Amino acid sequence: MPIEVIMPKVDMDMAKGKIVTWHVSEGDTVTKGEPLFDIETDKAAMEVEAADSGILHHAVPEGTDVPIGKPVAWLYAEGEEVGDPPAGLAPAEPDAPAVKDDPAPRADAPRPGATRREPDAGEKQRATPRARALARDGGVDIDAIAGTGPRGRVQAGDVAALLDRGPAQLGAATFRAETGPLSVTRSKGGTGTPVVMIHGFASDATSWAPLEAHLKHRPVIRIDLPGHGKSPKLKVASFAALLQEVRRTFDDLNLDQAHLIGHSLGGALALGIADTRARGIASLTLIAPAGLGPDIDGAALSGICRASRAESLGPWLRRLVADEDIITDSYVRLAMAGRSDPNLRAAQSAMADTLFPDGVQAVDLRAALDRLTPPARIIWGKRDAIIPWRHALRAPGRVALHLFDGIGHMPQIECAEEVGVLLRSQI
Amino acid sequence: MADAATDTNTPYAIRTYSPQRLKDALHKMFLIRKFEEGAEDSYTRGLIHGTMHLSIGQEASAVGSCMSLSDEDKITSTHRGHGHCVAKDADLGKMFAEFFGKETGYCKGRGGSMHIADPSRGNLGANGIVGGGLPIAVGAALSAKRLGTGAVTVCFFGDGANNEGAFHESLNMAAVWKLPVVFVCENNRYGMSTSTARSTAVKQIAERAAAYSMPGVTVDGNDFSAVTEAVDAAVARARRGEGPSLVENMTYRWRGHSKSDRNRYRTKEEIAEWMERDPIVAMSKLLVDHKILTEAEVGALEEDAARIIREAIDFAAASPDPKIEEATRDVYTEGAAA
Amino acid sequence: MNAQTRTEMRELSYAEAIREAMDIALASDDRVILMGEDIGVYGGAFQVTGDLVEKYGTDRVMDTPISELGGAGVAVGAALTGLKPIFEFQFSDFAALAMEQIVNQAAKVRYMLGGSVSVPLVMRFPAGSGTGAAAQHSQSIEAWLGHVPGLKVVQPSTPEDVKGMLLAALEDPDPVMIFEHKILYKMKGHVPEGHYTTPIGKAAIRRAGKDLTIVATSLMVHKALAAAETLGPEGIDVEVIDLRTIRPMDRETVLASVRKTGRLICVYEGVKTLGVGAEISAMVAESDAFDFLDAPIVRLGGAECPIPYNPELEKAVVPQVPDILDAARNLAEGRI
Ligand SMILES: Cc1ncc(C[n+]2csc(CCOP(=O)(O)OP(=O)(O)O)c2C)c(N)n1
Ligand SMILES: [Mg+2]
Repeated sequence: MPIEVIMPKVDMDMAKGKIVTWHVSEGDTVTKGEPLFDIETDKAAMEVEAADSGILHHAVPEGTDVPIGKPVAWLYAEGEEVGDPPAGLAPAEPDAPAVKDDPAPRADAPRPGATRREPDAGEKQRATPRARALARDGGVDIDAIAGTGPRGRVQAGDVAALLDRGPAQLGAATFRAETGPLSVTRSKGGTGTPVVMIHGFASDATSWAPLEAHLKHRPVIRIDLPGHGKSPKLKVASFAALLQEVRRTFDDLNLDQAHLIGHSLGGALALGIADTRARGIASLTLIAPAGLGPDIDGAALSGICRASRAESLGPWLRRLVADEDIITDSYVRLAMAGRSDPNLRAAQSAMADTLFPDGVQAVDLRAALDRLTPPARIIWGKRDAIIPWRHALRAPGRVALHLFDGIGHMPQIECAEEVGVLLRSQI
Repeated sequence: MADAATDTNTPYAIRTYSPQRLKDALHKMFLIRKFEEGAEDSYTRGLIHGTMHLSIGQEASAVGSCMSLSDEDKITSTHRGHGHCVAKDADLGKMFAEFFGKETGYCKGRGGSMHIADPSRGNLGANGIVGGGLPIAVGAALSAKRLGTGAVTVCFFGDGANNEGAFHESLNMAAVWKLPVVFVCENNRYGMSTSTARSTAVKQIAERAAAYSMPGVTVDGNDFSAVTEAVDAAVARARRGEGPSLVENMTYRWRGHSKSDRNRYRTKEEIAEWMERDPIVAMSKLLVDHKILTEAEVGALEEDAARIIREAIDFAAASPDPKIEEATRDVYTEGAAA
Repeated sequence: MNAQTRTEMRELSYAEAIREAMDIALASDDRVILMGEDIGVYGGAFQVTGDLVEKYGTDRVMDTPISELGGAGVAVGAALTGLKPIFEFQFSDFAALAMEQIVNQAAKVRYMLGGSVSVPLVMRFPAGSGTGAAAQHSQSIEAWLGHVPGLKVVQPSTPEDVKGMLLAALEDPDPVMIFEHKILYKMKGHVPEGHYTTPIGKAAIRRAGKDLTIVATSLMVHKALAAAETLGPEGIDVEVIDLRTIRPMDRETVLASVRKTGRLICVYEGVKTLGVGAEISAMVAESDAFDFLDAPIVRLGGAECPIPYNPELEKAVVPQVPDILDAARNLAEGRI
């Protein structure tokens, strides 16, 4: 008899969890104690280890919500015959709408077993393939469009009309989406446990340079977020999707142990990774991290995204720091040069809109912070105008706090030396 | 004067059939001729779309071959099948209606000239496929044998069909299983433009019978009595359970193969010569000679046939067309279990 | 008028164009023979071979007995061993009698023998309805043969193409099946003189348009073009693709057009279900061009019945210009 693998209850009031990633492929062998899959609940994401050994079969597709206690897969013994899934396997797409009274075949009916990047897309709205493609490329949510075609079908014209109304109407939502893996760059030299760095929103890997100067003894690995630096401009549907993407990149690095450093949005992502990959994290450093409270300076975010010239970018950049003088005109011009691609700016706008709608952090990782097991510290400037430093006070006692007077949202630049010394003592 | 029924100098048909049946036979031959002429005339008037294969000149073969058949007995026919239908007592109005593509036609306007059938009279139908009817006739004979109906099947086919595999396969199976079927070849010397000399390795199709261990005879297909004598004997043999036979009626089609024939493969003289040997004239003479009919009565029979055909054409012309919405009716049996 | 323009102006009927191709082939290659029923002195049931027998004699323009299975098989054997037969079925329907040799032998022998032989055979199939010849003389069976790997199946729609594709078929080392719609035989059109080939496997865009793609075959190409002329002034700009070959199908031309217009109608005379349109639709649905569809694909094909005799029924069971107009308007105006 195969052994069932269930959706574990990992949280007090958890009713169901979403399978985010399988670490073992269908048909592969897993040994008890190895990471088997990642789940995400309303509150958190985490890694689930295999409770038994065996060969994995009948795994529910990634993206599926499964009620707690229900099987998500079965482990078979070597040589055991694999037939139909034993009864009780969670339905593949429990949220799929029931098809009612519609004798005509539905082109948009849910396809059982289909795996998609965005499991929700396409199953709620009646839309033509071309409309979907246009919406996808334009960064428009097809579900939000009222179709004018037969039976309310969204057609290309409906999407085009929306896109034609221009960026003002669309807000930050329009950009040409790309695909592909995130950009990863590595320092030369250094030995021992590597340091993995995740930059903040509207920044990129090059922003770590001042801090890196103090970490030369370790290999440094930097990840560019989607729509940032050299990474492709992926469509990011939610924080969870973004986390999944970055976590996949982290997983692909295949590190036994890593020191993880994240700034701002990168801090939230680093926390999310540490939450599910705790055993691989030698230490966690969160610099002015997002995800610990609702407030954020939305105006600054959209201002940076919108700015198409150094003149309009400068004032917003100066808001990032306490001492405006360090943001020189040449620094601004350089920063603008890195943001000259309108599609990059559009992609970041779209991301801001998704992650920080109406100037509110839609990401809440406080539970993850509470669960955190690796050694961790939070570094914040007390004159941070973007995210209030007081969010740091939510941290449990295990987490060290380093709060700098007279420093803004960018301690790693504003006081790179001090932060570097601090990190070096533990990394 | 010797008794006609036993005198071997008296033709078989006169000896065998009552005056009434002989009169009826001549009447049918007139009906066939008038039917074909009426069809041709209708075509010329643009009342018929498509083509047609006329059997003018072959009436004795059609009528003679069906003389000893009842409604229980079956025939299978060919693309040149109007005569066979008439010989098997088809309703002329329904035939013309079919020709005109009307809902009142034998095939409700779906089949046309090449597919007229009347299962109620044992006519399993004409066929658009040369040789298509041969295996079907053997199947009908198999049914008759298995079901013990005593029915015989007469299978009409042209000389051209004898080179199809279906011909050979059919004769072989009929012989092996001793089935009650009579293969009647209407050898009109051509399959379309190709003469038997150019298409067929044997001189007479009847020679093929030897390969399948069945009797094979060749007769003058324009001589009503000769046809009846040969076919009746074959039918009787089949009814006795002795198996199949092959009868070859030598005849000639006066008209082209179809409406698009330019007659480039035969001479005017050849056609004229065969028109001299009109089977209807011969049959009329036979009946007049044997005092079964007077010249005047022959004339009246012809007149009557012409009238029947006129009425049939009128019926057809006045009949309703099929409904477009019903084009896909009868593809499958309605109400049949899926 | 110089010689060049005269060539350009020259018009032949579809049947004459076929005859000219066969004439060129017979004259230039001794290995070419014609086989078929009544193709000699009769000139062919549709007068396609015409008087070729007078020019080349009965040894090279051979009347076969009415023996489709055997005749087709003899052609296969001859093709295997050095001749290049062009075999005419009197009606495509009679190919049913020869399926064994076409499907089990001609199509497969090269493969079965590990590529050591080839079958340079050309078969011609007068096809389609519209002549009042009813169920057994009116079928469009190209999809049957299109389903057989080893065969190439073409449906030229113009005099120019039928000549070029027949000559291309003769140069092809594999069996090529040419379906000729009977209604096209009398159609006239420009035909270049001399030898030329029209590629097998390549569709032709007969009319460029941006709103809607119609992929049509054979006679339906002309119906689609007629419909497109009516639709133009209505503001519906139709692209008409003449598929020309159904095996191998020209994927790229069809997909490129669908990417451009986002709407697709397939028009073909064969029975709609499991036919050529099913393949075109599936090809689009399986490709990236799917993303460009802005409406369901529409297939207009033959009704689910044999071809009836009655002329009105006969018209009703295959796509006609008004059917194409309806479908195009419904699609363009967003009703389906
Ligand atoms: C299988 C098949 N091949 C070819 C044809 C075309 N065709 C129709 S009738 C005919 C000639 C038939 O000759 P024959 O059997 O002698 O009959 P006849 O026309 O002389 O009565 C031909 C070639 C056909 N209908 N079916
Ligand atoms: Mg004949």
